[in-house]
Amino acid sequence: MSYYLGLAQLIGIHTLLGLSAYVLMLTGQLSLGQAGFFAIGAYSAGILTVIFELPILPALLAAAVIAAFFAFIVGFPALRVKGLMLVVATIAFGEFVRLFFFNLSWRVPRGDIEVGPDSTNGFREIRYFVANGWSPWEITTFVWTFVILVMIALWWMDRSRAGAVLRAVGEDELATQSVGVNLTAVKVTAMTAGGFIAGIGGALYAHTATYVDHLTFTVLLATFAVSYPILGGLSSVFGTLVAVIFIQGVLVEGLRFLGDWRNIVFGLLIIIAMNLKPDGLFDARTTRILRRAIGLGGREKSDA
Amino acid sequence: MSITKLIAMALAILVSTFFALAHPVVAADRTVKIAAWGAKSGPLRSFGVNSEAVLKGAVKSINDSGGVKLGDGTMAKMEFTYYDSACNADQAISVARKVESQTGALIGIGPTCSGAAAAMYGIFQKKVGDKSDTGLQFPILTDTAIRPGLAKKSQWTFRNVPNEITMYDALFKWLRSKYPNAKTIYGGTETDQAHSRITFAAVIVQKAKKYGFEWVGGGIEGVTGKIIAGMKNVLNVSKSSNWLLADTNFSVQARAFKRSGADMMIISSHPFTTCGMLKEMRRQRIKPKVLVGLTSSSSAETLKGCSAAAEGIYIPTGFAPITKAAAKVAAAAEANGGAADLHSAAAWENAHIIKQVVEATGVMAKPETLKADRRKVRDGLEKLVKVDGLMGEIGRVQDEGESIKPYVFVQAQKGAWKVVHDPR
Amino acid sequence: MSDFLLEFVEVTQTIGDGLFFGTTYALIGIGFSLIFGAMRKLNMTYAAAALAGAYVGLAAFTFVNAPAPVVFLISALASGLIGGAVYITCFRFIPIHNHLAALMASIGALFFIDEIVVHTTDGSPLTFPAMFEYVMFELGPYGIRGDLLFVLAVNIVSTIGLLYVLYRTRLGLATRAVSQQDVAAQLCGIDVHRTNAVTFVLAGLLGGIAGSMTASAVGVLSPLITVPLTVKGLIIAVIGGLGSIPGAIAAGLLVGGMENAFLYFRGVNERDMYVLLLLFIFLVFRPDGLFGSTVDRD
Repeated sequence: MSYYLGLAQLIGIHTLLGLSAYVLMLTGQLSLGQAGFFAIGAYSAGILTVIFELPILPALLAAAVIAAFFAFIVGFPALRVKGLMLVVATIAFGEFVRLFFFNLSWRVPRGDIEVGPDSTNGFREIRYFVANGWSPWEITTFVWTFVILVMIALWWMDRSRAGAVLRAVGEDELATQSVGVNLTAVKVTAMTAGGFIAGIGGALYAHTATYVDHLTFTVLLATFAVSYPILGGLSSVFGTLVAVIFIQGVLVEGLRFLGDWRNIVFGLLIIIAMNLKPDGLFDARTTRILRRAIGLGGREKSDA
Repeated sequence: MSITKLIAMALAILVSTFFALAHPVVAADRTVKIAAWGAKSGPLRSFGVNSEAVLKGAVKSINDSGGVKLGDGTMAKMEFTYYDSACNADQAISVARKVESQTGALIGIGPTCSGAAAAMYGIFQKKVGDKSDTGLQFPILTDTAIRPGLAKKSQWTFRNVPNEITMYDALFKWLRSKYPNAKTIYGGTETDQAHSRITFAAVIVQKAKKYGFEWVGGGIEGVTGKIIAGMKNVLNVSKSSNWLLADTNFSVQARAFKRSGADMMIISSHPFTTCGMLKEMRRQRIKPKVLVGLTSSSSAETLKGCSAAAEGIYIPTGFAPITKAAAKVAAAAEANGGAADLHSAAAWENAHIIKQVVEATGVMAKPETLKADRRKVRDGLEKLVKVDGLMGEIGRVQDEGESIKPYVFVQAQKGAWKVVHDPR
Repeated sequence: MSDFLLEFVEVTQTIGDGLFFGTTYALIGIGFSLIFGAMRKLNMTYAAAALAGAYVGLAAFTFVNAPAPVVFLISALASGLIGGAVYITCFRFIPIHNHLAALMASIGALFFIDEIVVHTTDGSPLTFPAMFEYVMFELGPYGIRGDLLFVLAVNIVSTIGLLYVLYRTRLGLATRAVSQQDVAAQLCGIDVHRTNAVTFVLAGLLGGIAGSMTASAVGVLSPLITVPLTVKGLIIAVIGGLGSIPGAIAAGLLVGGMENAFLYFRGVNERDMYVLLLLFIFLVFRPDGLFGSTVDRD
């Protein structure tokens, strides 16, 4: 069972990572820097529980706020660029953060050992969960509480005026601006929200993995972050969840029986999926059909 | 509608096969099951390929000679499954959880990469029997992952990897007597790889200093004193002669080497950048009296990358096909499509160590005794003082879960590793 | 005084080395710039395909001991073919204005190509041949790598060739027309798909040259450098100004020189942070890149 619970934790955490990119994508911003905010969340939360010996909940929330703060700061210069320029700018931001943690060494004595981030050697002993006797069930519930809260928040936002504004900015910036929407505010808010969500994800990641180093937060992880919403589709938050389950559950874990061929099939299936469903696995059509299937009442039910 | 239905059906089939495959029916016959995992995809694939090839040969040799004797005298076959964890912490953790909870494996051998191991060990129970610690309770005997000081993280994790501290100590002692005129050293490392970096700063340079080799341009403060402080100083004085794992341009580093005019030069990195650096040194006509490399580069990869430029480099290693047993392993690995080297050869020893422990502790290998069997294997591993290795006796450092393995010094000569000194 | 002179030689040599090595970066940057200029789409597979082409060339070297120029040629052709295949699988059948789906498919192709390379070579580093590999020209206190002079020459020739194709042939005209206004181009009777496919093959050929030149400049080929090369190519395309070929060349040299200078003065751990800062400076103060290309960057 611990395997499935572990997998569920991983899926939950990657869903948060994907949702952080999803929020930005609604406004038409493609960010390959979400791994950077994820890293900020992971290291901040780790430092708070390990060095400052804070309980997990305040540490996690503080980490998310710190990540959101950096996203807020990054949001302003990022406004100046669009399209490929934004992609490259965010890649550069993510790499910069990674290099920062690569250089960060902050060790404090704890008993007969030293703890804290140790540049290349990584940040070990982030053992808050196991050291406090949390069972795998409890950890999984904890992780998914945040996943569900974030999903509900985004789902609710999507159906409110705020969501319409975000999507409108994504569709046509000029038109939205001309009807009086403050583009700066919308984009920076989306960036900040993305940073906050990625920060929660990173904080949870550091504590479930117990170890992070700078190599965890490469461009590859940032690529996965945008892959989830694209592969799942931008029509709703469930697309991202479906895509995470597809990638982490089916392609990475489920295809283990393919042995050596697993990773080759991995890339191929992504190409095929995008050719067959360019708007994502969970596109508007699927949503419509599903909603009809559950009898139109899908609004509240589908969060369960 | 029909396409959606088709996709739904396909998904349902995928999910059900996934569950079916994840729940293998536990065989009624009694076998000693081992789960092994490592990098079989990604740039470090050779780790997994070699480790699997060696393990395959080892399990076959054990079964050919009758198998493993269980607690009630039954002779059981040994069986292993190899998983790919891609040098990735998430996947290594995932596989560890999977084999612990979904398979009847007695013990795991993995995950080949130090970074993945550092993360994976963290999810294991720290102290055996500690009820408040909910970490995994499953013994691990890691091969390949060589970064110093990893296994003591949990009492369930053990390693069988060469001990670099003793190896480099002996190497510099030997080089001291072989090159009495060599006085100065200089070198560099890939700073984003923990293993290369720690070994360079905390082991190689400090051992060289111990035997009277002086760092060019003055002493490194504290190098012979506290390890951590000394390590920082080494990395500081050598900062523009270092590089990163995927670097391609080595002109600045090589010129720093050249400027130093050191008698002995050290390249503490993995094969790709070791080759890049060696080639640049050749371009700049840098010819030190002595060249020393990192243990991990004593593999076939370095020779595939740059056999000509590597000529003459000395590296200590825990494996060379010089004994009868070692030659047999090298041949078996090659027949299975891999290579036996200082990393992968340990997989052979691990299989035999497991056999020895299973026989000594009376493991029953029944589904209902799985939990007790795993505990027995762990306790057995901890009790081990000495085991037979391919190159001779392997000593165990019990409270740290580490090995002291016999070693030899090899030198690249005409495209092959030649054993130049055998201190066994 | 002589200390100062020595240091001066050291610093200029350091930066010069970097500039020279930057020619390999420039080649990759041009490819990213070209495809983005033509299609306004990001092809993440580009650097992976370039290196895969180099691997095919390397196979010719390993198995039939082909001479270096032949290896480079095979690399270019193979990468051109891969470029065409990437266009068909990741761009051709995906709706033209769906940028995200095409991007994602090209990410899938990146994983696919990389994993094929890893499976064939087990990820081991392999010797790659070079022209004038250990030739070092001495100019007073300075040394210049012969193999990099060759890379520079190849770079110049292929850039001239590329500019010729783009500005002096019907094919180039069509490419540029599609890149500026695809609908108008289509109305003028240009087959957009065919033109895009040709652009991909062309960029692929260039990528193969870039991949094999990079591999021969290092002397060793490894799948480890795929992702770093992708990132570097993107950074250079942006610093140079998207769509600007001279800009990409200048940016490649600039990044190469800066890397070495910061390595020399600040050490390897901080080196790449300064290169990224340079990029940020460009993004904020000069988003059109070095030469302020006229291409609309949206």
